[in-house]
This record gives sequence, C-alpha cells and structure tokens, in this order.
Amino acid sequence: MLRDVATFLERLLGFDPATFDYSWVTAVVVIGAASLLAFVFIALFAGPVTWWERRIAGRIQCRIGPNRVGPQGVLQWLADGIKCFLKEDLVPAAADQGLFRFAPYLVFGGYMATFAVLPFGANLVAADLDVGLLYLLAITGLVVIGILMAGWASNSKWALFGGIRSAAQLVSYEIPSAFSLMSVVLAAGTMSMQGIIGQQGAWPWEWFVFKNPFLFAAFFLSLTASVAEGNRTPFDLPEGESELVAGYHVEYSGMRFLWFMFAEWGNLWVIATIATVCFLGGWQVPGVTPAEIAASTGLAFWGWQALSFAVFVAKASVLVAFVIQLRWTLPRLRVDQLMITCWKYLVPGALLNLAGVLVLLAVVPDQGVADWAIRGATLFLGLALASVFVWKARAGYLADRDLYRRMEGKELWYPPYRLP
Amino acid sequence: MTDPVVHAAVFYVLAAFTVVGAGIVALSGNIVHSAFALFATLFGVAGLYAYLSADLLAVVQMLVYVGGISVLVLFAVMLTSGLSDTGHTNPAFRLAGGIAVLLAVTAGAFVAASAVPTGVESAVAPTTGAIGDALLGPFVLPFEVVSVVLLAALLGAVTMARGWKKGGAR
Amino acid sequence: MVSAVPPPVGDPMPGRGTGGLKGWIANWARTATTVLDGLAVTMSWMFRRPLTIQYPDKIPQPVQQMLPETYRGILELDVRLCTGCLQCQKTCPIGCIDIVVEKNEAGGRDITRFDIDVSRCMYCGLCSEVCTFAALRHSSEFEATQPDIRNLNLHFVTKPVPVARHKPGEAPPRAPRGSILKDVIPGYGRRPGKAPDGGEKNR
Repeated sequence: MLRDVATFLERLLGFDPATFDYSWVTAVVVIGAASLLAFVFIALFAGPVTWWERRIAGRIQCRIGPNRVGPQGVLQWLADGIKCFLKEDLVPAAADQGLFRFAPYLVFGGYMATFAVLPFGANLVAADLDVGLLYLLAITGLVVIGILMAGWASNSKWALFGGIRSAAQLVSYEIPSAFSLMSVVLAAGTMSMQGIIGQQGAWPWEWFVFKNPFLFAAFFLSLTASVAEGNRTPFDLPEGESELVAGYHVEYSGMRFLWFMFAEWGNLWVIATIATVCFLGGWQVPGVTPAEIAASTGLAFWGWQALSFAVFVAKASVLVAFVIQLRWTLPRLRVDQLMITCWKYLVPGALLNLAGVLVLLAVVPDQGVADWAIRGATLFLGLALASVFVWKARAGYLADRDLYRRMEGKELWYPPYRLP
Repeated sequence: MTDPVVHAAVFYVLAAFTVVGAGIVALSGNIVHSAFALFATLFGVAGLYAYLSADLLAVVQMLVYVGGISVLVLFAVMLTSGLSDTGHTNPAFRLAGGIAVLLAVTAGAFVAASAVPTGVESAVAPTTGAIGDALLGPFVLPFEVVSVVLLAALLGAVTMARGWKKGGAR
Repeated sequence: MVSAVPPPVGDPMPGRGTGGLKGWIANWARTATTVLDGLAVTMSWMFRRPLTIQYPDKIPQPVQQMLPETYRGILELDVRLCTGCLQCQKTCPIGCIDIVVEKNEAGGRDITRFDIDVSRCMYCGLCSEVCTFAALRHSSEFEATQPDIRNLNLHFVTKPVPVARHKPGEAPPRAPRGSILKDVIPGYGRRPGKAPDGGEKNR
C-alpha cells in the first residue's frame, strides 16, 4: 500500500501532459456519458409511459384519461414531475434519517444498473457481459434491499409491511423467473444478451418463443414472474392501497417519492426488454443478419443501428402495452394466494418446463425437419391463441353494440386511435 | 485502463467500501444498521471479484449473498420479537467491536510483516464456460456432495419447522 | 306465489381445483383461460365510446342545464315572494341564513337584510322545505369558486324591500331558476372571479 501511495505521489508531482496515460480518463468520460444516456432514456420512457398507462386505464374503465396538458395530455408527466419537484421533502421525525434519505437512490440505482447490459440495437449496448442474464437476475437484489430499507427506515407499520412483503415477493419470484430464463440459456448456449439475440432470427418462426411449446410456456412464466418482481398488479401487494395505503413509500413525498415512481415505470421497460431479448428475437431486422450489420460501415452502419433500435422499441412497446393491460384487467392477489401462486404453481411448473426444454433440445436436432415441424406447430399454437383472443374481444363488443345504439342513439365504435 | 495507479485506486476504493461496511457491521449499536452494512460489505466483495476479472463469481456473489443472504438476515432481524428499541438493539456491540478491531489489527500486522505475492496480471476473459466445465468435469463429485449437504439442511429445516405431534408421530 | 330460487346447476366454477395432481392441472388450465377471457373483455372496452363528460369546456350544453330539477345547488331567493316569516332562518341547522326585518315609516315591514352564507351551507334543503311561498329554492348552480370566501356570503337584499303580502294564488310567478343568482354572486359567469377589494390575495 505504501508503495502504491508513493507511486501515486510521484506521478502527481511529476505530472507530464505528454506522457500521461489518458485512456482511463476517456473510459471514465464514456462511462459517465453512457450512464447519462441511460438516465435520460429512463426519464423519457418512464414519464410518457405513465401517461400512456393512464390513457389505456381510462379507456378500459370507460373514461378518457388525462388529455389536458399539451396535445392529448402527452405532457401530463412533465406537469406531475414539476409538481413533485416543488413539493416539500418530508422526513418523519421518528424515521431513520440517513437510511430514509438513501433508500430511494438504492432502489433507483438497482434499476439503473440493469441498463448496463440491456441492448437497444445491433451495437447499442453499454456492456455485453458474458454473464449478462445472470447479472440481470442478480442486480435486482439492490432493489430488494432498497425497498426493505425504505420500509424499515420510515418507522411506520404500513411501510414496514410493504417492505417485508416486497422482499418476500421478490426473493420468491426470482426462482421461477430464473428457471424460465434458464431454458432460454439452454436453447441459446450463452448468457450474454447479444449472444441470445444472435441465436434467434428476425422472423417469428425463428424466435425462441415459437421454438417449441415449452419455450412458449416459458415466455409466459417468465413474464408473470417479471411482473411479480416489478411489483405490478396483480402482484402489487407491497403497495396495496386498500390495506397498506401505499406500502413501502407511504412516508415519502416530493422528489424522493418520484425516484420510486421512476424505478417502477422504468422497470416496465426492463420487464419488456428481458422478454424481448430472450424470446422475441431482440433487435433483429428481417432480411439482414447480425454479421452483415457488423460488417457495414459509415452511414449504412448507423442506419442499421437506427432500424434495429426501432424494431426493438416496437417489440418492447407491444409488451409494455400488454403488461399495462394486464394490470387493469386482473384484481390483486391476496398474500397467501401470492405465495401459493409462486411456490405451488410457478416453481414446479417452471421446473417441469425446464425439464421439457432440456429433453426437446437433447432429442430434436437444431434446424432439422423435426425442429421446423415443432416450430411450425408452436407458431400455429400462438396464432390460434391470438385468434381466440381477438374473437372473444370482438364477441364481447358485438354483444353490447346494438343495445348501446338503441339506448344512446350513438355508435359504440370508438377505437383507441380516435382521440377525444 | 492499464495504468497501475488507476488499478490501485479502484482496488482501494472497493477495499475501503468493504472494510468500512464491515466496520459498521461490527461497531454499530443498531442491529438493522449492521444488517444493511453487511449488504454493503458483500457488495464490495462482489466488486472486488469483478475487479479481479472473476465475472461469474462476482455475479453469483451478488445473486446469492447480496440478493439472498442479506435479505434473509434483514428478515430475521425484522421478524425477531423484542426489537422495539431500534436505536439500541445490539447491547454487545462494544465487546464485538473490540474483538473485531483487535482481529483486524492483528491481521493487518501479519499481512504487513509477510511477503504476499501481488501484481499477477490476469487476462480479462469470460470464466463462465471454464467454471461450468470444471464443475461438471473433474469436480462433479464434490459439487454433487455439496448439493446433497444442502438438501439435507433443507429437509432438516422443513422437519424442524413442521414440528412433531404428540405421541412421536408427525 | 314467489317461486323458490332454483338450485345451482352444476359447479359454478367447473374444473375447480380439488387438490392432487388433477386439481393442480385444472387450476393451471383455469388460470390460462380466465386470464385470456379477462384480457379479451378489457380489450373490447378499448374500442367502446367513453362515457366521460368533459366538464367544463368540451360539453354540448352547460352542466347546469343537464342537472335534474331536484338538484340542490346554491340557494336563491326571490325577494318578491318572501314574507319575512324567518322560518328558514330558524330551521337552518348551521345558522347560515341571516335575515333582518324592520318596521318602515308607512307602518309596514321591510326586509333590510337577507344573507345566505353559501360557504357554510350544507345543502340539506330544510329551508326550502319550510318556505311556504316558494321564495327560497335551490338553483342548479354549483360553480361557486371565488378568490375570497367572503364573496360567498350572498346578499339577496341590498336596499330595503317591503315584505310580500299576496293572497293565495295571486303571487307573481317565480323568477326562472338561476336567474337571480346572476346579480347576487360576484363575478358570476366569469372565471376566475375577482376579489371585491381589487384582487388582493386573501389567505
């Protein structure tokens, strides 16, 4: 240690701009810029998606949703953010001051850290770690600790209940989540996010979700577990309004409250991204292989980056919309039901599913005739499911259409793109 | 990023994070603070693993110790009855702290006196595949024995938690 | 004769888990189908017309006109019908009605003050119930936002008015609903209103 200090002092005193090694300065600047970009992305995603969610919720509940601030209310999130900025930052007198102030940053930092490995496009990834998927599962530990810290430091029984529930839920649901993602690792043979995407193709029949029926099930298992880990309805017990007021962030106000909300909606993106990367082929653009993108130069290179980013965002947005709709469809589970769902259904189900994936991967050779037959059958299964869904939704609409016209004298048809 | 001074600086920052966390674990009078500081320590250790380019080990450390063990310790602390006075819940902290400081000083002196080999530059390369091969190759027996031990512990915990009915039968 | 409630036909939740492996699988199947059903229901609502009435600006007609006759809005007094009987003042549980009736030079009686403090009124409707002459009635007006709460103490009488003395059936028709409040509520129909003392902020 003394030697290190001596070297450091020597270098400091004999500072020579010509021979100084600037590489680490560059590295620090690049890391800083990447973090800032990720932060800006979270802000620009989490903000508008709150508005989007409220619009969807409004339509589902026969309302309109926020449409006053800016055109159709798209700036509602800015108004909410400014309101939170201007609010008083209250710290309860009996709270543990230091931990109370620190907890929101830990929660937000946990979600921020996931962005290190999340890919946005062909080359748009901060760090393509070899253990990317495992890192994603591990880093959520920070969030658990942050939520427990917030719950305990508030010195309020509601907050503590919320914190404990959240921690129990996150620790439990990490297991089915890991099992179902592990089947993807088996199929891809790597834990690197870009590697997993590279093992899939751009067309739906090349995606892992339609590779075989077990991976198809793993997609929904993983999505369910992710939604539970993200504390979203129907698994939002940690902040169940009816029992716990607001759960672990009940004592927070102003900007600190906003950090929790940031993390919650930023996590929506994380859920959608993991599912997109692992099951929906990531950023792959139809008609071009990753190798061709990597080989391109200049304007073409950046064009492919932009295109792959657009493809990725489109897939993730569909999933975000799905998760939002799920929230406004299903009622909240009870605590015991939550644990039963995890330990009696998801864990054994995911384990059986993993075994099924293993057997199929071992028995069916990749790209063979049997493989393509299974892929085709799974794709057909998915399409059949989607058709049943559309048929049921249409039947529900048609059942009320004529009655509405008779009673109100107006057409019931009012699609989401017709903005009131 | 080959500058040795920067390397050393990163190491000392991580080490300081770990040691300060460990210090709080031993010296804090508030047992919940100790539990949170334990989390910081384990996190610092994960950082040290990453610094030594043991990527899989660092992530597993995070997954198991930071995400699992820390949370379980916090659970145990929070669910323990009789911890109403949260400001002073660790009455033996002076004794524990004293022993910890004594041990730290002894260990420090020992390290300072001995010639520890340092400065072996390791190549930054993924270790996952190699560890996987080793665990399912030459070390498959120890690996499986450890899992049997863990299974036995799990079964024991379940048995004790379920309790025994009167008359010896469960 | 009231027919008995028919007994339930079959299990209301077919395939409900009964424990064991069979129940486990049935519960999985039920979860999948019910979640799909639920999502289909909410999806169908995304294509239906919302019911929201976008008060106050994006509406076909003022909300005041859409309210039913029995709506208990801000109280309004038609002074031409008031006999100064003070029944409403006596029956008001809160005491937000303040009436002063004085003798005039001609030997009759004048109402010199008729104040209703709308900021305290709880819209129970007791005063309009006891008003035999239909002088005091609820209007359908509800927009009472004011920069100063004192503006809500409505003065229905500004200069002495002789009390009404009508024979039954000879009373003049009552002024249309809401027409009196125009002159009584400061800054009526203007949003936001202005404080009486020049817009100074009062906390």
